[in-house]
Amino acid sequence: MMPHELLKVVALVSVGAHPVTGRPRRAEQDARAVELGLCLAGKHLHLLHAGDAESEALRGYLGMGLAEMTVLQQPLHADILPALGSYLGATDAQLVLTGSQAEIGEGSGMLPYLLAEQLDWPLVVGLAEVESVKGGVAQVLQALPRGQRRRLQVRLPFVASVDSAAPKARQSAFGPAQRGQLQSQKVAVVEDMLLSEASMQTARPRPKRLKVIKAKTGAERMRAATAKASAGGKVLTDITPEQGAEAIFALLKEEKVLR
Amino acid sequence: MLDTLLPILIFCALAVMVLGAWRRLSLWRQGRPSPVPLIRGLAAMPRRYLVDLHHVVERDRYMSKTHVATAGGFVLAALLMIIVHGFGLHNRILGFALLGATVLMFVGALFVAKRRRNPPARLSTGAWNRLPKSLLMFSASFFVVTLPVAGVIPADMGGWVVALILLIGVAWGVSEMFLGMTWGGPMKHAFAGALHLAWHRRAERFGGGRSTGLKALDLDQPNAVMGVEKPTDFTWNQLLGFDACVQCGKCEAVCPAFAAGQPLNPKKLIQDMVIGLAGGDDASFAGSPYPGVPLGEHGGGPHQPIVSQEGKGLVGADTLWSCTTCRACVEECPMMIEHVDAIVDMRRHLTLEQGSTPNKGADVLDNLIATDNPGGFDPGGRLNWAADLNLPLMSEKKQADVLFWVGDGAFDMRNQRTLRAFVSVLKAAGVDFAVLGLEERDSGDVARRLGDEATFQGLAKRNIASLSKYHFNTIVTCDPHSLHVLKNEYGELGGNYDVRHHSTYLGELIANQRLNLGQHKGGSVTYHDPCYLGRYNGEYDAPRNVLKAIGIEVKEMERSGFRSRCCGGGGGAPITDIPGKQRIPDMRMDDIKETGAELVAVGCPQCTAMFEGVVEPRPYVKDIAELVADVLIEAPVPQRSATRSDAMEVH
Amino acid sequence: MKESFRRDPRNEWIARNRLHPLYSALQTQEASWIGPSGLVRKNPHVSGFIGPNGLKRIDRSGVQQGGGSQRSGTKAAVQLPLRIIEQPSFYIVVVPDMVNGRLSSHDKDLLGLANTLAGDEGAVVAVVFQAHKEGGFDTAGVDRLLHLQGEAFADYSPEQRVTALCALDTQLNPAHWLVPDSRTGGGELGRRLAAKLGERPATRVWQVADGQCIGRAGAGQQDMARTAPRLILAAAECADPVSDTRHEVRAIELNETLFHRVGRLDNLGAVAVDPALTPMAEAEFILSGGNGVKDWELFHQAAETLGATEGASRVAVDDGFMPRARQVGATGTWVTAQVYLAVGISGAVQHLQGIATCDKVVAINQDPACDMVKRADLAVIGDSAAILQALIERVREHRQGGMHDAA
Repeated sequence: MMPHELLKVVALVSVGAHPVTGRPRRAEQDARAVELGLCLAGKHLHLLHAGDAESEALRGYLGMGLAEMTVLQQPLHADILPALGSYLGATDAQLVLTGSQAEIGEGSGMLPYLLAEQLDWPLVVGLAEVESVKGGVAQVLQALPRGQRRRLQVRLPFVASVDSAAPKARQSAFGPAQRGQLQSQKVAVVEDMLLSEASMQTARPRPKRLKVIKAKTGAERMRAATAKASAGGKVLTDITPEQGAEAIFALLKEEKVLR
Repeated sequence: MLDTLLPILIFCALAVMVLGAWRRLSLWRQGRPSPVPLIRGLAAMPRRYLVDLHHVVERDRYMSKTHVATAGGFVLAALLMIIVHGFGLHNRILGFALLGATVLMFVGALFVAKRRRNPPARLSTGAWNRLPKSLLMFSASFFVVTLPVAGVIPADMGGWVVALILLIGVAWGVSEMFLGMTWGGPMKHAFAGALHLAWHRRAERFGGGRSTGLKALDLDQPNAVMGVEKPTDFTWNQLLGFDACVQCGKCEAVCPAFAAGQPLNPKKLIQDMVIGLAGGDDASFAGSPYPGVPLGEHGGGPHQPIVSQEGKGLVGADTLWSCTTCRACVEECPMMIEHVDAIVDMRRHLTLEQGSTPNKGADVLDNLIATDNPGGFDPGGRLNWAADLNLPLMSEKKQADVLFWVGDGAFDMRNQRTLRAFVSVLKAAGVDFAVLGLEERDSGDVARRLGDEATFQGLAKRNIASLSKYHFNTIVTCDPHSLHVLKNEYGELGGNYDVRHHSTYLGELIANQRLNLGQHKGGSVTYHDPCYLGRYNGEYDAPRNVLKAIGIEVKEMERSGFRSRCCGGGGGAPITDIPGKQRIPDMRMDDIKETGAELVAVGCPQCTAMFEGVVEPRPYVKDIAELVADVLIEAPVPQRSATRSDAMEVH
Repeated sequence: MKESFRRDPRNEWIARNRLHPLYSALQTQEASWIGPSGLVRKNPHVSGFIGPNGLKRIDRSGVQQGGGSQRSGTKAAVQLPLRIIEQPSFYIVVVPDMVNGRLSSHDKDLLGLANTLAGDEGAVVAVVFQAHKEGGFDTAGVDRLLHLQGEAFADYSPEQRVTALCALDTQLNPAHWLVPDSRTGGGELGRRLAAKLGERPATRVWQVADGQCIGRAGAGQQDMARTAPRLILAAAECADPVSDTRHEVRAIELNETLFHRVGRLDNLGAVAVDPALTPMAEAEFILSGGNGVKDWELFHQAAETLGATEGASRVAVDDGFMPRARQVGATGTWVTAQVYLAVGISGAVQHLQGIATCDKVVAINQDPACDMVKRADLAVIGDSAAILQALIERVREHRQGGMHDAA
């Protein structure tokens, strides 16, 4: 990817939570958004966060090699969208990068959509790569499941969300993280009404749905319920390579992985 | 004529030498400050040279004797020469003494020359091949020049032609020996080496001591660049130490990464630092290059980055990440240069400032930050391996004789066998022990070796805080890396503990007859010394004694004890994973197979993992704790209850 | 075990209940009738029932009714009762993903949820864009089908589709919008719709009950419970799919003619992705080689023919046959492939950890006792080179055969 020095890129970042311990950290997808931004704009990438400027986890983004970050000071239960929207509307940003969803809080993944709607900019979901920017139009690759890609053309300025198909974020270094500046700005606060109504609870593990058993007799139900355990692990010994290949081929066809 | 010219020549040479010394000193002083006692260091220098350094050199008898003759003869000759020829004190006795000294030096130089005729690959050539000739020239010229002083031949014999030839010889000898000493010839090692010994950054190493812990980095100075980016970011006495290198290549010969074809050669690394100190490139380096890295492409200067992000720089990052921190080079170095310190200093910059820890390095560090273990496992599962063992917890007991430091092996299914074996032994011996359980965190070893001093200090401080809540006499651990960090590196951060390796502790239990052991059955056994137990902590005997106590006669490998070859698992090397021509554990496994042993006894989870990663067929790998547990006879030892109450009374 | 003899009280109840929709299906054959010659014919096989001990019992007391026929009777496709909502009091609109033109199981779960929300009064509307191959809308629970076709909705056209959905919103004013929260389109379309409608959706919802819904929040560590909003993006398995009713799939039309804005987002089409370059963590089909692979040339050839992404065990990487980035396992990359074909890999613990989430594991190995064979869903024991060679030929044959079919 060529660095596009002239492209004005803003990366929206949030405070994440480690999936195992829940400790605050740079959010995985947001860090990928920053990585993509660094590839596009280098040191000119503008980092923007709406939240608490005291949060140490934000330094994780600065440690990727950026000198400063703008923080729109917002309390925990605020609706940050108006603040972000009016800030971005006032800048000359051409590309706003975000992660797909936040790691803490509601995490509805709506932010890029609402932001695009508010700014009336087009939105690219699952940006994997910016191939070129010419005459106010960007040619980009969109990530699809299973490593597939789709080429899109989008006019500037636009909002793009990245997911885990985007390039992996570079390491965050301690030194630049400590030296980086969190520039706090006071902005209007809009309370998020939903959060007062909704209740958060520790995620309940969802049991895997049992196979819907169409069997009408108890015996068939029994067989269906125990089939999983007895199946799996078919071992073919003493067969010709052709027979083995045929068995594998049948499985590949059944799984539809042969294109 | 000689009588007039010689003093001029000598004093001119001495003056130029002093100038050179001044220049050399100012080169070193570009480095960061480092507080060392200057005068006391100088006073201690002769003893450090004659005793400590000689111990290391003495491992090679030939070279030791040669050096004594050559260097002794030279120092004597040089002093007498200044008195006799410089000041013109033509005393016959002094003359004879000078003759004796030059003869001694000449003989020594002959041996040096002989060594250079068919040198091993580790020796540098180039200027170093010139050195024996210069030594011979110096000693021979002064021998002849001194003959009239001793009254052996008349003063005016030979006429001006002979005098001129002699003068050329003297000039050659003097310039190599005196000018070269401070202006950068092979003899530089004498000047820099002497001062390096005087102002060594680890004075504890002299007088039989041991200093292996890395030195802490001050993280509270946000504006200072962390780690070593440019040669001048080293402390001045580190720079001085690099200058002391004699390019003997002993480090190269023992370096596991070099042998595996990874792009590291400790000797070349030190020489590159010398190049960086003065500026230039490595085209004239006359030794083995980094495997796979041609000479002449790298260069730098005192104020240029050592590892360049763009372009070649002085050293490639792969070179620094190849090191397993096994300390074999430091152990072998006759000049007591600290290679590992330098490498970690440069790694600190790469990790803390550049964020360029290679391969899995970044993930491991992120895991350590987020989950307190390098594997990213749920810290709540740290004690799962002992779910059925009913281990006493420090948080419940508050005090115990022994604190069993489990280490991150708790998450590894293979190492859990070792841990369970050791717990069974502890229980059989009735040891009053407890574990920290979920309060334990990674010791910080890997983070520190990968250069992430911030994560190391964070982990260390939290571990020290946990440990400070409880009373115990000893920490025992099955992991030499934890042992080293707890014992040698936590001190600087305020945690001082009596830490023992499980083999040491097992040895004590056996010596106190608290274990009822049978005899090992099965095939022959060899023992692999873990670097962090042996070279880092000097424990070579205890594991062997334990093995002996269970009836194992260790079939020693050629490289064992302080010369043990690394398994390749230290210093984060499996994480950074720099490709080479072969793998270090495979080479070590070949060493093991050479003994014909059917089983290799180990005392380190890293070594176990590395050896078990070698493709079968290969000897079995078993920890000492497992071997002891295998022969444990579970009957209670009679005096068990007595010792137990003794142990309790300690508090 | 095929014939087990049980009474089915429900069937018996249906057989007694003439108003039950399944009544006719369960009516037993006549036990006696007047034959063409006027004689009374009796079918002795029909009368009576099979008792619990497997013997045929004939009860002449007249108590026994229905259920007399064996389950073999119900094996014939049962015509499920048709549910007709003539005048729905409200609509529930579902926008299924239609992956490959068919309802996915995720879509069916959503239709199931829609039917619970619709109850007896509401109608379930499915919105389908472009041509489809689905024939089972009726049994999946679709009362109304809006089938939108046209250039504008081709392939990837989120903005145009949202415009159409907005028009539908005005037309039907649905009580709920249900969109699958999936990566195959629904997640994006639903959120775009939410942003356009100004509805705050509930996302990753896995339970809707009593006007409350629960969805995953944050990075999945928490659940968020809230009043069910109008737009719900539901996760897979949010409800059971419809199983016992048929729906009329009545076609409806958009009243409004759509005016599409000039696209700000142009689809230039799918990019051919070389499976060899697909990141392993994302790859769908991985061919992985280990210490047992001797002919690496053949291995690469096999990967190319199969269209598989290459992986390797640690040993193969250590020995320099494969680059480090291709190492699978706890110390390499954790993979999520649908099919993981392991050739000559014995299955070290770390490696098995790394493939734990793979759907189907196939092992080719010499050693039937190795751990990989134990883990595998299908294991072929034998010489890996010969089997790979045979597999390459089989796949080539298939490809050519496919070409002939197409021609």
